Amino acid sequence: MSLKSTLAVFWRTLSSPPATISLGVLTFGGFITGIIFWGGFNTAMEFTNTEDFCIYCHEMEDNVYAELQETVHWENRTGVRATCPDCHVPHEWTNKVARKMQASKEVWGKVFGTINTPEKFEAKRDELARHEWARLEANGSLECRNCHDYDSMDWAAMSDEAVYYMRPAAELNTGCINCHKGIAHHLPQSSGESPVLVVLESKAVTDLEEGQQYFAIDAVELFEDEALTQTAGSLELGAPVEVLARSGNKMQIRLAAWRKEKGFGRVLYHDFGLNMRKAVLNKDTATNAAIVHASETRNDDNTGLDWSEVTVDLWAVSRGFVKDEQVLWDVAAESYASDCSTCHAQPDPEHFSANAWPAMFNGMVGFTNFDEAESKLVLTYLQKHSSDFVEAH
Amino acid sequence: MATRRDVLKRIAAGATTSLIGPALLGPAAKAQVTSEGVWKTTGSHWGAIKALIKGGQVVDVRPIDEDPNPTDMINGIKGLIYSPSRIRYPMVRADWLDNRERADRTTRGDNRYIRITWDQALDLLYEELERIQTTYGSSGLYAGATGWRATGQFHSCINHMNRAVTMHGPYIKKVGDYSTGAGQTILPYVLGSTEVYAQGTSWPLILENTKTLVFWASDPVKNLQVGWQCETHESLEYFDTLREKIAKGEIKVISIDPVRSKTQNHINCEQLYINPMTDVAMMLAVAHVLYTEELYDKAFIDIYALGFDRFIDYVMGRDDEGIERTPEWAADICGVAPDMIRDFARLIASDRTQFMFGWSVQRQQHGEQPYWMGAVLAAMLGQIGLPGGGISYSHHYSSVGVSTSGATMPGAFPLNLDLGKTPEHDANFGEFSPVIPTTRWIDALLNPGAKIQYNGNEVTLPDLKMAVFVGNNPFHHHQDRNKMRQAIRNLETIVAVDYTWSATCRHADLVLPGCTQFERNDLDMYGSYANSGVLAMHRLVDPLFQSRPDFDIFAALTERFGRREEYTRGMREMEWIETLYNECRDANAGKFEMPEFADFWDEGLIRFPRGEHWVRHAAFREDPEINALGTPSGFIEISSRTIEKFGYDDCGAHPKWMEKLERSHGGPGSEKYPIWLQSCHPDQRLHSQMCDSEPYRATYSVQGREPIWMSPQDAEQRGLGDGDLVRVFNDRGQLLAGVRLSDNFPPGVARIHEGAWYGPEDATIGALDTYGDPNTLTMDIGASKLSQATSANTCLVQIEEFEGDAPAVTAFGGPTEVVF
Repeated sequence: MSLKSTLAVFWRTLSSPPATISLGVLTFGGFITGIIFWGGFNTAMEFTNTEDFCIYCHEMEDNVYAELQETVHWENRTGVRATCPDCHVPHEWTNKVARKMQASKEVWGKVFGTINTPEKFEAKRDELARHEWARLEANGSLECRNCHDYDSMDWAAMSDEAVYYMRPAAELNTGCINCHKGIAHHLPQSSGESPVLVVLESKAVTDLEEGQQYFAIDAVELFEDEALTQTAGSLELGAPVEVLARSGNKMQIRLAAWRKEKGFGRVLYHDFGLNMRKAVLNKDTATNAAIVHASETRNDDNTGLDWSEVTVDLWAVSRGFVKDEQVLWDVAAESYASDCSTCHAQPDPEHFSANAWPAMFNGMVGFTNFDEAESKLVLTYLQKHSSDFVEAH
Repeated sequence: MATRRDVLKRIAAGATTSLIGPALLGPAAKAQVTSEGVWKTTGSHWGAIKALIKGGQVVDVRPIDEDPNPTDMINGIKGLIYSPSRIRYPMVRADWLDNRERADRTTRGDNRYIRITWDQALDLLYEELERIQTTYGSSGLYAGATGWRATGQFHSCINHMNRAVTMHGPYIKKVGDYSTGAGQTILPYVLGSTEVYAQGTSWPLILENTKTLVFWASDPVKNLQVGWQCETHESLEYFDTLREKIAKGEIKVISIDPVRSKTQNHINCEQLYINPMTDVAMMLAVAHVLYTEELYDKAFIDIYALGFDRFIDYVMGRDDEGIERTPEWAADICGVAPDMIRDFARLIASDRTQFMFGWSVQRQQHGEQPYWMGAVLAAMLGQIGLPGGGISYSHHYSSVGVSTSGATMPGAFPLNLDLGKTPEHDANFGEFSPVIPTTRWIDALLNPGAKIQYNGNEVTLPDLKMAVFVGNNPFHHHQDRNKMRQAIRNLETIVAVDYTWSATCRHADLVLPGCTQFERNDLDMYGSYANSGVLAMHRLVDPLFQSRPDFDIFAALTERFGRREEYTRGMREMEWIETLYNECRDANAGKFEMPEFADFWDEGLIRFPRGEHWVRHAAFREDPEINALGTPSGFIEISSRTIEKFGYDDCGAHPKWMEKLERSHGGPGSEKYPIWLQSCHPDQRLHSQMCDSEPYRATYSVQGREPIWMSPQDAEQRGLGDGDLVRVFNDRGQLLAGVRLSDNFPPGVARIHEGAWYGPEDATIGALDTYGDPNTLTMDIGASKLSQATSANTCLVQIEEFEGDAPAVTAFGGPTEVVF
């Protein structure tokens, strides 16, 4: 009998009304079958929740599983060990099922060989990692916190350095993954970003509110229009902006600044006579009086240059900002202290004025390992903590 | 300990769009066992070396094969290790051990010491730090002075001392340095960067584009022998090309200098003789010619510079002084004929001109002015930011001009306390400034509480009671020994850590023997600016006598207040070196592949490919608004309102000619003391390092004394011949030196290289210096109220034949050991 005719007979049997079996039997049968299926489903669920299942695929066994074995989550003083599902499968039922459905994609990957060589796995690692990071960020690192709890941490038993980092995180109830990426598996090698930007991005706020002030943590691109079609320039690291309006993932911001009346006025500075950059505009935007509203003009006695006060309203994607500027300065202070003490003791930031720092910094930056973003961040930090802002001692 | 940021740095470090080829291992740097012994590789300020070790002794030292232009000074390294001046044991000054702060301080310098144990020595150091912090607070301790420490990123003694002493308590720190104090203070106002330590335009672009190259008081062939990190000597090859191009008439090179420099003789270029300390007068006349003959670039000045009119009013005599700075006016001062000044101005304006300034010209009274005026001339030529044009203040230093590879270099042992850590004692500076200009610490000892002007600020000089010097020799680099000897009597305690009995150690109360860099493992950057590679520094021999690495010394100090573990982070030498290497390797991942640590350590040297050619100030030229300079205005400041507002009488609104306190060739004081003494960087030492290398010193000393180079005319006038012993003196001091005659020196000019060890006859103030340290004679005044930098090259002397029995040289060898 062909497969096709067998299926036809089976279908006919199923679709015919019952003639000889009682309703009770049918109902009971259905109940039993349901139990069997439910049990089977759960058994299957349980089985897929074991490490044995996870490493059934050599993609997992050869890569992430082997990497886990190098870490404290595999072997430690007290013998408590995290298995794959402890971290990667939600413990609550609905989320668990949702995660399982997602995981079918990974099985797809197995079957169709998208990650079946180390090179392919490495190429996909960034995407895979980002999925897991996003999930853990969204749930506040719930799976980590099933074992690690801020309230149960013994601060006295920690090193000073650990307390230095962990305290603020605890106060803000920051999710573990925000800082501890790469704790159990190798990190992807393709983020393409400056190290300090990676650090700052982990601290960025996602929901910016109208009427509030925020500080740029990146060279955020600026646009003249809400549709973000006419580029206007970019913000400097640490630039404060006021959010005027929100529209989806876009926002209108206001820059209150000063600029020099020599050249096109493309550079916007924090204050009168102060060479601390807030934003750099394109020539067309900078010279468009309908966008850049100039008010007072004053002469700077230290240089003889005229400066004018301006307000500029522009649009940007609402990403790349922090609420508390101290976040920026903490990162910068650490960079400054470590990179600038390789050859000599680094001067205190308040030793020079805000306008003197760029020259001191420019003269020495070649000796450091700073990239462009880190250079800008550290210089802004030094200016912001210079003798102009801190009472000299 | 990897911090969270290290981890995150590693994520991003992997990121790059284009992979640059892997680093190259240098097999020549690999240790080799031969029948004559073992060849090991290490590095130094003089370059990377291989040393033959036999029976636990260094028997031969040679440059590594990769060094294209090794320095002769490598021949001095063996003598440095086995010098009779090595400090063998911890020692204390005879009277000080019993009496401490009540000890007789007038006997400092009599060289009588008592041997003690390491435990005693470290207890004394800790007790004294504790006593000073408790009795006087932070302002009583001076530990901020640092110098040319031995190379090696882990063992750098600057970092060890700072970390350990800071862990105990805060102290007075310094700003600026003796090498470039005036330059690094003025140039931020003019060109928006300190410039003196900045990477410069790549040599190939200069060789290709420059038509006239001007070395202004610069002797790169002499000074490129040494580097701040392990020196590669890669830029010296360009001087060979330069010599060929000069010979073919493809480039004109002029050395403006009173002396025919080593560079001039090496490349066979022209010399434009100028009287000492008069460069600004000549430059003003050049500006006068460029302006009056309309040879300057008006458009460049309009777009890129400010304050030109104000300056030109001064040049044209339309200001208060009312003197037109014509070539005729300048010729009387600078000794350059008016027509030569005119020809020079027309030449530099005719085609692409590159200025290269040395540093010694800013180590004089008003040392800011020649640097500022040089920038003004370069701005008037309008070639700043063009390949082969503009101005440089660094091409004589550490292979500047060899393009940077772009590789990340290894970090160092942390100088600072770890995050969240605080010193044992709180900061307490009272009414005193916590930071002083580096050259003013002697003034602080003589006038504590005095207020001085410095760079727009008022500094209250602290009341120092104790000084700690580590790998640093102020009794070489500071001026006016006799003033110093008087001043240090106001210090209760002086502590010195060094491997050799420098004059600083001889004036210290407590002396601790560090080992040389050749007696410890380390790693270093290969090339200070080019980032040409990473070098493994293998220990050649174990520390001699009872000497120890600074790491061990300061770890033992921190143990005395219970913070050793924090100081060392629980790691030992090789763990630190491996950690620093691995951090560097991680940071370079994806850009420059580096081998595993074990392979690196075995092979010895990793090299990175050279980077792209680069032009200094090109970004500013391309877009002066976006790439603004770091000056107050963002533009080149020919006149500076900021400086003008400080109201200083010795550094004003724009560069000016100002007469010096003393000046040869008809200047003030030249009737009594007619000879200008220049004390530039030595040809056969690194500052004072290696002066104690006996066989090597014997190759240049004269009757056992430091040579004084002088003209045959001056010698003849005084009845002196080559090899004679002379007394060199002025109102500040006197020294013995051996005459070397040379046509390189014009009448009225003599040279003693700085770094010659101070060897006074006895402990009295004014004692004859038996070896020939030029700073016995130099003047200790600030260059101006702006920089307060050293004025070592403003110095006049007289020279006479030494008659009678010459006293023995006291500068070298160990102390007289006092035994009870």
